[in-house]
Amino acid sequence: MTEQNTNVMVRFLTWFKHNWSNSPLFSIFIALIVMVILQTIVLGFDYPTFGDWFQSWINNWLNILRNNASIAIVALGMTFVIMTGGIDLAVGATLVTTGALAMTLLDATGNGLLASMGITGWGAIVITIIVVIAFGYLLGALIGVTVSRGMVPPFIATLGAMMVFRSVTQHYMQGASPRVPSEFLLISNLKIGDYMIMPIIYWLVIAAIMYYISKHTTFGRQIIAVGSNERAARLSGINVKKVKFWVYALSGVLVAIAAIIQVSRIGSMDFAGSGRGMEMDAIAAAVVGGTSMMGGRGFILGTVYGMLIIAVLNNLLNLFGVPPLLRDAFKGAIVIAAVLLQRKEQTS
Amino acid sequence: MLVEMKHIYKSFANNHVLKDVSLRINEGEICALLGENGAGKSTLMNILGGIHQPDKGDIYLDGNKVVFDGPAHPINLGICFIHQELNLINDLPIYENIFLESEYKSGFRRVKHTYMIQETQKIFERMGVDLDPRTLVKNLDSSYKQIIEICRAVIMEASVIIMDEPTTSLTDSEIERVFAMMERLKEQNVGIIFISHKLKEVMEVCDRYTVLRDGKMVSEGQVADVTTKDLARYMVGYDVRTDKLVREREKGAEVLRAEQLTCEQKFRDISFSVYEGEVVGFTGLLGDGRSELFQTIFGADKITSGKLYLHDKEVKIRSTMDAIKHGIGYLPRNRKENAIIKDMDIVENSAIASWEKYARWGIIQHAVHKEKLSELQKTLKIRMGNYSNNITSLSGGNQQKVVLAKWLSTNPKVLVLDNPTQGVDVGAKEDIYDIILRLADEGIAVIILSSEATEILRLCNRTYVMYHGHLQGELTGEEMNEQTMMELATGGAASISVS
Ligand SMILES: Nc1ncnc2c1ncn2[C@@H]1O[C@H](COP(=O)(O)OP(=O)(O)OP(=O)(O)O)[C@@H](O)[C@H]1O
Ligand SMILES: [Mg+2]
Repeated sequence: MTEQNTNVMVRFLTWFKHNWSNSPLFSIFIALIVMVILQTIVLGFDYPTFGDWFQSWINNWLNILRNNASIAIVALGMTFVIMTGGIDLAVGATLVTTGALAMTLLDATGNGLLASMGITGWGAIVITIIVVIAFGYLLGALIGVTVSRGMVPPFIATLGAMMVFRSVTQHYMQGASPRVPSEFLLISNLKIGDYMIMPIIYWLVIAAIMYYISKHTTFGRQIIAVGSNERAARLSGINVKKVKFWVYALSGVLVAIAAIIQVSRIGSMDFAGSGRGMEMDAIAAAVVGGTSMMGGRGFILGTVYGMLIIAVLNNLLNLFGVPPLLRDAFKGAIVIAAVLLQRKEQTS
Repeated sequence: MLVEMKHIYKSFANNHVLKDVSLRINEGEICALLGENGAGKSTLMNILGGIHQPDKGDIYLDGNKVVFDGPAHPINLGICFIHQELNLINDLPIYENIFLESEYKSGFRRVKHTYMIQETQKIFERMGVDLDPRTLVKNLDSSYKQIIEICRAVIMEASVIIMDEPTTSLTDSEIERVFAMMERLKEQNVGIIFISHKLKEVMEVCDRYTVLRDGKMVSEGQVADVTTKDLARYMVGYDVRTDKLVREREKGAEVLRAEQLTCEQKFRDISFSVYEGEVVGFTGLLGDGRSELFQTIFGADKITSGKLYLHDKEVKIRSTMDAIKHGIGYLPRNRKENAIIKDMDIVENSAIASWEKYARWGIIQHAVHKEKLSELQKTLKIRMGNYSNNITSLSGGNQQKVVLAKWLSTNPKVLVLDNPTQGVDVGAKEDIYDIILRLADEGIAVIILSSEATEILRLCNRTYVMYHGHLQGELTGEEMNEQTMMELATGGAASISVS
């Protein structure tokens, strides 16, 4: 190696070390790149032409992204909640509840609520979207009021809400098997060129908006202040209750959007199983992405990376043929490893 | 134990904080470590406390070189550190906090609660503190917390105690007790490093002094050989004024009036009024309720009864946001708990109270806030690296200046400053006083809450004295002197009549 080469190497290593220990996002990003490389290797290079390989590589990725879009959107809302020092265990239940409402409104088997009022076609779909999002807001707001006004610890408030929402939904939807009109499916399945990427677009747009909110709006920065030092935030003129209310309300809205995407992807919903464990995946994505469960520290971009890492991991476990019941063990281990990684850089 | 720090260097990124500093602490000696805000005092002590590693230089204990591998190491060797920013565990009772380190030492052995409570009681008696050791720390005022940190050092039977600004939120009578304690420790051959910006205290209690400026040692000697004036000059490089600064102004219109404000358990029947262009002091001893009074007026707590008028109109302030909208600013005491958002950078900490005011469509105007900070940085002489550095990278005094900047940039009509010069150096204190006087000249009503008599006497046109949640008296003109203030603050009646 020439002297110049060594020099470049040394400079690169210093740069790398500096970022590694100073920027939490950097280490997560590196972890993500490692996952991407792994994923690429596992996919193999056994294709006749580069074009074929590339096509299949892209398709594989689009699949991963599409499959995880709705939970990724939920994780974004969860990040805000955790940044205030709270937690939202009700996201899965809210997803089922809002999804059930969407399907009840639109049911094409003859019992549809809107159809019975004579509203059909695209009008019905637009109304459904609006009503479902408003309903998501309402459910989130309910939790928000309980936490901010009622001073109920977030864990308890959302645990309770989770049980209530899920049980009520299951009771009223038992035996029902609504079907949504085929136009509704276009929301997720519309093709852009040759690709079905609508869910991915929704995800990226919402992530961009959430990123902007977290960096540049009073609400976004007040979230950090409240999570970091609630007393100081209040003594600085921040309406702590309002901030807390809105993170849960916003989480509800995002869950409703995720529900619409989920329902419109496959046209049906399993009212007993859908969204179960979703809260854990969303929390995991946020935590892997560098968000502190103590509040005050969190990154929207980190949650996007974290979600990708978990998604790729899921895919890899699938490709490796790991038995389904064992997969959570790997996920759990990865979450802990990611947090350990960040812990180390904080103390050193 | 003899402690020597030799030729210590330390830098953070490009900021060379310590440059060839040597320090020696003898047994049974109280050594003052002095210097401007950001001179490097806390950094030097953090190195002795095992929190930072020096870039260069060595530490010797009784002549043996040591390298600390973490904050627990010096503690085991008998060096106890009382930090500038308090470090107690809020959810534990007092006695467990006091025995925290020793409890750890006992590993899995049964924790002896009764023993710990008794020992705590004993030390409280010696310190003249009237507290139940079983009280949770979070229910305590910041001055009690400082006392508890000091008790902890005493109980650990350390041979060297580092006190980084231990008296910033204490009133004179507690300070006296702390000093008595320090004298006793000195007799037991304990070496003490005492960091303070209150030079009178240094003269009173210290034997030797070392002055740092810009990370270099500039002066060293026996306290007996110098005056406070000399020490101030060594620290900042010029003579610091000490004259009275009160200016008589035309009395403007009434801005704020309180009528029989009461908040159960905190204060009772408080009536007072404040006029435009006035600097009004509120003083008293620990537990007088003045901070609680103004936190309540500021909307952080609920008023039980009584009325509040702004410009002669009754107002109901329900939240701190309301208060800011009405033009009230409140700089709280004890910045670590009440003012600093440790996860945000310097600009954000300086702008947080005025985000809403300048925001358009909820979008923060970063540029406006940066500009405001850069103006205030010059007037307040805030020593900082980059605006986007974390607030905790600033020295204590500079953090305090950022908190002050936060309130100045809200352009309040009534500005309440609770212990505004906490941890601020002698030079910067005068700059802050100038700002206060200028605000008053502009017609702003400034209320200063302070337990430092000189601060009140030098700045205020008028002073209210509080005692156990009651307004004990109002002093103006000739009556306003240290002696009368003390009499009222200890519960004496306002019998001194104007002749
Ligand atoms: N962790 C850190 N990262 C970066 N800079 C730091 C850090 N700690 C201290 N500094 C810088 O080192 C300098 C000295 O800080 P230090 O806290 O030692 O001052 P000080 O003498 O204790 O001042 P004060 O009287 O205000 O407490 C300051 O300029 C500060 O910004
Ligand atoms: Mg300091």
